[in-house]
Amino acid sequence: MYALQVKDLTKVYSSRIRAVDSISFNVESGEIFGLLGPNGAGKTTTIKMISTISRPTSGSILVFGVDAEKHPDKVRELIGYIPQSVSVDGDLTGYENLLIFSKLSYVSKKERDARIIFALEYMGLKERANELVKHYSGGMMRRLEIAQALVNRPKLLILDEPTIGLDPASKTKMWDYLKKMNREFGTTILLTTHDMAEADLLCHRIAIMNAGKIAAIGSPQELKMSVGVEMIKLCLDSSAIEKLVIPDELGKIIGYENSSVIISVENAEKKIPSIVEYLLKRGIKIESISFNKPTLNDVFLKYARVAFEEGESYSQARMTRRVFARRSR
Amino acid sequence: MIRIVKFLSSSLTIAEMEARKIRHDSTELWTRAVQPALWLLLFGEVFNRIKGITSSNISYITFIAPGVLAQSVLFVSIFYGITIVWERDVGLLTKLLSTPSPRSSIVVGKALAAGVRGIFQAIMIFGLTLIIGINLRLDPFDVISVFVVIVLFAMCFSSLSMTLASLLKTRERMMGIGQAITMPLFFASNAIYPLDLMPEWLRTISLFNPLSYVVDAMRSLLITGDYSGIPLDAVALVLSTLIFVSLASIMIRRLIE
Repeated sequence: MYALQVKDLTKVYSSRIRAVDSISFNVESGEIFGLLGPNGAGKTTTIKMISTISRPTSGSILVFGVDAEKHPDKVRELIGYIPQSVSVDGDLTGYENLLIFSKLSYVSKKERDARIIFALEYMGLKERANELVKHYSGGMMRRLEIAQALVNRPKLLILDEPTIGLDPASKTKMWDYLKKMNREFGTTILLTTHDMAEADLLCHRIAIMNAGKIAAIGSPQELKMSVGVEMIKLCLDSSAIEKLVIPDELGKIIGYENSSVIISVENAEKKIPSIVEYLLKRGIKIESISFNKPTLNDVFLKYARVAFEEGESYSQARMTRRVFARRSR
Repeated sequence: MIRIVKFLSSSLTIAEMEARKIRHDSTELWTRAVQPALWLLLFGEVFNRIKGITSSNISYITFIAPGVLAQSVLFVSIFYGITIVWERDVGLLTKLLSTPSPRSSIVVGKALAAGVRGIFQAIMIFGLTLIIGINLRLDPFDVISVFVVIVLFAMCFSSLSMTLASLLKTRERMMGIGQAITMPLFFASNAIYPLDLMPEWLRTISLFNPLSYVVDAMRSLLITGDYSGIPLDAVALVLSTLIFVSLASIMIRRLIE
């Protein structure tokens, strides 16, 4: 079953800017799906429409089969939305934030208290549950937002740039929590990011957006394969190079360069030991080995080649600044 | 759960949120009490020496006490939209509106929250009148009725403010429009002088000013004990509250789009 079906989704703003231009994609139940793209690509607009916050100009959105245009209230019962800017209330305590939002999400009284206690412990916030949230660090505020999702248990959790502005340690922690939530509760997760490492580590599948369109879609592995092959460069004795033959299961010689041979392989890390063994057996001396594999960065640059500053609208720049200003308070 | 129960529970939860915030930090309540205190202690005391503003045997300072109370609630409510814009800016409003709670219940809840603040204002001002010895009829029925009037009144004008916020979208503009609205509303009402003293044209305007009905109701409850005008006041107040709450519920989505 699909958690999300987006078809021909379009959003045109009054100034006739096509922020999202007829995109279609599906997210399977239980998947972690990432929307990647430069600033201004239309990621946030897309998830705002999915969260029923903004109305599509045309196209359809089905969340677990429910039409978001016809029954936005029913869709809101299925989703949890965590916007880019911190959305917890600084003037309330961590506990109160969980309590108020669980009430607004109609979590039954019976389950509420147990879930809140569990979420606070699970996210490591128990000690500071009764402190005002404005005294929390940026990472803790994000954890509290995930805790809200743990209390309300949405079937589809939507996050806009979940780790923007977090330090590397908090980032890694956040990834662990999201993965755990996906695994233990079967929560389908839709997130936007422009952090390649995040997309690679976290997402089962990603879609790369550029200028309101989806430029590429697939698993991180598939996308990396689509931009280029992995290559091993072997520096050998020049006499050995000419008559070097490599069996097909190890790789394919695709070129020569000075005293080196370049071999295209699948999964370089695993093939290197076999190739070394093969060469040594035939008495060929290896001077050095290096290898190169495409990263999601290459994928990103290929499909979203747009000047970063150019794509960034004024309001988004302002929004990002606000996030930082709030975090650094 | 049936719809109406869900609606009420969400609205009350939003009001509860406000009450909890006031409990954590009550500074604003105290600073907001300064202005009405000045109106009573300075303006009221001085004008109290001029006889003839009020027709009957009521002293001027007693006469304006309900007006000052209404004015301070008006201030709380008319600037409530600024809080909403701020909540939009930090992402909180988006989060509230993405919960399964109906959007109108969030608006009603916010309006109720303004009412909660209004009641605290009233308590402060009642305390003040006791200290300076203004004689108000503070028996339970009257006080509770005044609270009801205050909640409706705060809901009415905070909804107007939220509607304006949905159109204007920035805090700076809201500050400006708030200033521009409050004073005309205040002076075109019976808050600090009786309707009889007004020129004909101003009296006509004041008939369309919800503040006049609020002050009239409060004055009947707190001073004269003559309830004959209250049904009309109630109808006018409830009607304008319904209109503005509905308007704000429709408009609020413009703020987050």
